[in-house]
Amino acid sequence: MMVPVRCFTCGNVVGEHWEEFKARTQDGEDPEMVLDELGVERHCCRRMLVSHKDLVDIVAPYQ
Amino acid sequence: MAPDYDVEFIDRGDRDREARFLVRDVSPAFANGIRRAMIADVPTLSIDEVRVIENSSVMFDEQIALRLGLVPLTTPDDYEIGETVTLALDVEGPGTAYSGDLVSTDDRVEPADKNVPIIDLKDPEGSETPQRLEVEADAVYDVGREHAKHQGGVAVGYRHLQTVEIVGDADEYGDDDPHILRGVIEEDGELIPTEEFDHDLTQRYPGKEVEVHDVPNAFVFHVETDGSMSVDELVTQAVDTIHGRASELKDAVQL
Repeated sequence: MMVPVRCFTCGNVVGEHWEEFKARTQDGEDPEMVLDELGVERHCCRRMLVSHKDLVDIVAPYQ
Repeated sequence: MAPDYDVEFIDRGDRDREARFLVRDVSPAFANGIRRAMIADVPTLSIDEVRVIENSSVMFDEQIALRLGLVPLTTPDDYEIGETVTLALDVEGPGTAYSGDLVSTDDRVEPADKNVPIIDLKDPEGSETPQRLEVEADAVYDVGREHAKHQGGVAVGYRHLQTVEIVGDADEYGDDDPHILRGVIEEDGELIPTEEFDHDLTQRYPGKEVEVHDVPNAFVFHVETDGSMSVDELVTQAVDTIHGRASELKDAVQL
């Protein structure tokens, strides 16, 4: 649904970086470089952003 | 207890949220005590109770409350355990409600990260009014032991400081596998983070056979905070809580 606020494993706030990550990767940037630049270092936090899919738009019509 | 300990910074990250420092002459038990105190005993403010005035978004009230609870809030140090601050959020779609939209009654308390999306609000076709989220929330000052959202420290840990001893030459026709070591090594009193040689000892000591030893009672702490306070405040408050409990015990036990 919405991006998790924090990393499930370590508790770092990852939701903060989601919109920039999404915008930049959709522009064709390499996700690896984007995450490095955003300072999302640990692989537990990286998977939170890499594996996320926004589903609000899909759910919204069925309110 | 070691009376003379020594603290030395190795590196500090940006925005006061990350630091690596070396502590010498403390026992392993005390080092672990500091680590645990940083995680569980330093109180922070975090949203705990949410009064929902209107929520026509696609998420349930409970889900919204959970997300709000996880947003770190900047925490002044003059609060008492259990004290509350009221925050409010009122956003109407179409658009996204962000953590930065939270308005607090105490201007020292604000979301540490302002770009965390709470919920996407739409203006659905066929509906008379756009989706809207209006809540009033109480942030409580409490310790990480009570709930993980109150933990000020994130990924707090330590390693031994290590030394590398050259014990001879490497086998001339041996396989040239890397010798990976992560942390900080000490060489003639100089501290070298292993990033400097790509965590590979064969790059720093080519053609040598080496042995790695722990330096007794020297610990390299890596501390990150979630933004509710700076690393300095987190560490000093953690040590203060240990001090407080130790003196409490001393007063309670009378021989």
